Amino acid sequence: MARLFRFLEKKRGQRRTGSNLMGSVGEAIFCGALFLLGMLALTALVAAQVVRYDPQSLAIGLGWWLVFLVLSSFVVIGGVGLIRTALRVGASAERRGAMARQASELDIVHEAVPRPKNYPTVPPFDGLTNSPGVELAYRLPPSSTPGWRLLATTLFTLAWNGVACVLAVWTVQGHLARQPDWFLTIFLFPFLAIGVWSIRYLLLQIWLHTGMGMTTVEISDCPLVPGQSYQVAIAQHGHISVKSLELWLVCEEEATYRQGTDIRTEVRRVFEQQLWSHRDFRIEPIEPFQASAALPIPATAMHSFHSAHNSVNWQLVVRGEVSHWPPFERGFSIVVYPGEATLRVEVSANVARNALRPQHSVTGATTGATA
Amino acid sequence: MSDRPADSAEPLLSICLVGSKRSFSAGDELVCEYQVDAVDPADIQAVEVSVVWYTEGKGEEDLGVHYFERRLPADAEDGDLRPMRRLRTRLPNSPLSYSGAILAIRWCVRLRLFLRRRGDFVMEYPFTLGAVPIRVPAVA
Repeated sequence: MARLFRFLEKKRGQRRTGSNLMGSVGEAIFCGALFLLGMLALTALVAAQVVRYDPQSLAIGLGWWLVFLVLSSFVVIGGVGLIRTALRVGASAERRGAMARQASELDIVHEAVPRPKNYPTVPPFDGLTNSPGVELAYRLPPSSTPGWRLLATTLFTLAWNGVACVLAVWTVQGHLARQPDWFLTIFLFPFLAIGVWSIRYLLLQIWLHTGMGMTTVEISDCPLVPGQSYQVAIAQHGHISVKSLELWLVCEEEATYRQGTDIRTEVRRVFEQQLWSHRDFRIEPIEPFQASAALPIPATAMHSFHSAHNSVNWQLVVRGEVSHWPPFERGFSIVVYPGEATLRVEVSANVARNALRPQHSVTGATTGATA
Repeated sequence: MSDRPADSAEPLLSICLVGSKRSFSAGDELVCEYQVDAVDPADIQAVEVSVVWYTEGKGEEDLGVHYFERRLPADAEDGDLRPMRRLRTRLPNSPLSYSGAILAIRWCVRLRLFLRRRGDFVMEYPFTLGAVPIRVPAVA
């Protein structure tokens, strides 16, 4: 039985240990059942109203309309899932990819933005060139905006500590009324500890982003091409004593995958090169620290790459150590195009000689191996 | 992925790159011949040939199609899709073949044969595009 049908199978993303056909059949059965259940129940619900009209049950609220919405969602989710499964079973991955490519070629928004042609999967650089620099041509936007992190931290801190305050008042009232709830009292301590930690973390974030001062990075050209050297200018604002400030050129691979219901992202730094460093100096608010450096892109560097689940990202990273502050690191994305040294394949003399001979074919294995 | 009885005779699929090289520069023309054999022409539902890149490694697989052709029996003379056929395409500037730490980008010519009631059979012929080394050397 186990050979015919495995109860436990591994699935990561679109890869699975079992049969794809069986997986698709299972998906189709699930979606079809959901669709049918939704349709039947929805029909019964509406028919009941048609046969025996009850205006009270149709009042705005959580009654009839909530059931209607839930059943409608069953129909939509089941129907869409069924159509997706049918399309996937009927077409190969390459055919679906070709259809997706045709659809993307009709993208009017991208057509309107001028970009070098015939560089698929190299990410666009429109966002990097729309801000002119003071020293050099372009000012780079930071890779991660601190504002969003600060907003998320603020919301979490407010929500958590709001609940903590309500629980604390409730607990204290119980103790004052000589009717203590000991379970709630014990539960409150870790709750308050997390609240205190969140306040401390929020203050640290505010301190870091307001007191440390802004970092700006400008580059002389964009996109960057391997084998060429550019200029980069850095400016650090604030009122701080700097132990060290460094500028790095960094390349990272990023891979996203599903594990169960989680979506995980792994980042691996595959290249880093220090472009510039400076130690033991002081920055005053009236005079930001400014420096410039050469930015050589390695001739054989891999170009920037972006697909649905994988990417190769290049960025300039500013790392700093400041007295009485935690160390900080700020990234600024850049786009690297394929370079001449990597676009061209060196043809050996032997291969060139063979190419001049009458053509012959190189044949691969001819078994029906599946992808 | 094909799902078929293990005892059925497998058809013969072949892909031949014209010329002796398996490494191409961006903008090169890739010329390739492909053929299907050892199968009854009446059993053939469709033949798809494509030039694709795909990712390997830690992340989910991404696939990009550079060239795609699907042929049905109605497209061929006498409805026979078995005879040798040539494809010709100019390769793009990206993505270049790459072997990184958690990500690899591979190129291949992929031939997929769909048979009636027997699923599909796939054959791949890998090649490399560009010359990105496995490790990028740091500039001193």
